[in-house]
Amino acid sequence: MGEHMEIMGKDIYFWNFIVLMFFTLFEVAAVFYDVIPGTEIEVTKMMVWAVLIIVGIIKGFGIAAFFMHLKDDPRIYTRTALFPVLFVILMLWGIGLSNPAGVTELPSWCTPNWDYATR
Amino acid sequence: MSGGHGAHVDNSIWMRAVMMGGIFLTIGVLLFATLGVFMANEKHHVWEELEDDYHHMEVQFAMDSSEEGANISAHEAEELDHLHHEEIAAHLSYLTYRVAGITILLMSITYAAFIGVGGFLNASKPNAEHGDGHDDGHDEHHGSSSPIIFAFGIMLFLAGFPDFAIACKAMLNADVTADLGMLSLSIVGLLTIVIAVANWWFEDLPFNGHGEQIATSYPFEGEHIRKAGLWVFIMSEIMVFATFFSSYLRMRTEWCTDWAIDSGVEACSGVEKGTVVTASDLLRHDFATLLPGAINTFALIISSYTIVLALKTAKNAKWERSTGIMGKIMPTRKAEIRNYLIATLALGSLFIVLKLVEWSHLVAEGFDIGTTQGSIFYIATGAHGLHVFIGLLVMLYLVFKADTVGFDEDNAQGIEYFGLYWHFVDLAWVVIFPAFYLY
Repeated sequence: MGEHMEIMGKDIYFWNFIVLMFFTLFEVAAVFYDVIPGTEIEVTKMMVWAVLIIVGIIKGFGIAAFFMHLKDDPRIYTRTALFPVLFVILMLWGIGLSNPAGVTELPSWCTPNWDYATR
Repeated sequence: MSGGHGAHVDNSIWMRAVMMGGIFLTIGVLLFATLGVFMANEKHHVWEELEDDYHHMEVQFAMDSSEEGANISAHEAEELDHLHHEEIAAHLSYLTYRVAGITILLMSITYAAFIGVGGFLNASKPNAEHGDGHDDGHDEHHGSSSPIIFAFGIMLFLAGFPDFAIACKAMLNADVTADLGMLSLSIVGLLTIVIAVANWWFEDLPFNGHGEQIATSYPFEGEHIRKAGLWVFIMSEIMVFATFFSSYLRMRTEWCTDWAIDSGVEACSGVEKGTVVTASDLLRHDFATLLPGAINTFALIISSYTIVLALKTAKNAKWERSTGIMGKIMPTRKAEIRNYLIATLALGSLFIVLKLVEWSHLVAEGFDIGTTQGSIFYIATGAHGLHVFIGLLVMLYLVFKADTVGFDEDNAQGIEYFGLYWHFVDLAWVVIFPAFYLY
């Protein structure tokens, strides 16, 4: 466990908790505000998407690596946790993006009818 | 939980679980009386008055306009609209207290029944049966039949679940009749679950950390079998939530939501805004509607931290009492672990209460499970809520063990392995919250 690692007298779990709280606030604010507070910069849909995905990855990493101890545990646990990711990606591609618009907007190599001969 | 050899635990200790059940029930009834009855009735009166005012004004304006032969003025329409909004707000306020009160009552009854019945069953057992049932003087794990009995109970319960649900509806005066055969099967399943869980607790309570089973072959060689098993379980859970998420993505990319129209998606050109309404359309624009989901997100993160603190305290052999107020609240290591677990339990319970309050608001606004948007929202967030609730039932036992036998650096695995599950539930929410509430 990584409790021995300390920053400014506080252990890694405390800082991970603070980071998670901060990014959650950031996530909610990104959706809630139409304009970045104090500026005239408009928060576009694309920006919100980017924030939600990036913050999701950071929070996911924080929870898995530190709270679930994957950072310090033997690598076999990380591999176990990552194993279903392959299926998750396949599901997201095969099911999640399988609506007509999803398929037509994908690159040709990523579509079910892609012909190897045309490479 | 383990069936390993451990310290002797007197059966009378189990009666404390029954007492715990009584405490939960008392807290539940008091909170229900305060929130669900007293406060809710007050709010109901306000709502009724505003509703009467609104209808009265509506009729008055209609009569005035018919006498004058003209439509109501802009000022009158604005006044009517304002009153209508006030009436809706009063209705939602009433629902908040009523649903919160009922949810707390139902949760406390479930907590009391779960921990109370489990405690009573174990208190009734002869002392000699405690532990692994083998007086062989060595710390060897003999395995446990409880998990498979538990799984069998779940199978029976789910086999009769449709009729169990119908019976629940019948109890609420709905005009339905349940098939008694299947209902009985479901109830037998529930009893089997309770007996299996109680027996599991009975085996685990004296576990002092000695005799933990270690894997002897690749790929988990040298690792605790329970920990490896829990990770495999989490692996399967990732797949379950991935099915919800991919289904949602499949539907969402096809819907012409306000978001898609604003983003200029070509397939949605010509579609009017508001044609497809998602839960996030109703939740994300207003502070008050987003608040329960946001509080829940923070509650889960804080609860993840409190369980980490419980584990850290349990593993800290050189524990020292904190100074100041924390030292007063948590005077001993045992009390500190227990209190962190109670804090986790309270935060998890808050999550369930707010979730149901939020659902009641959505249903009142017409967003129910009858639409595809509602269906995927309620199924995905409901499945997550169910995971939280099951976690809370397990946490009841951890609180009980922390309060009686106690955890230390040797037997802290119980908190660690449960913590893995609890963090996974938090992790699932990290995906669900932005996908269903913010996007």
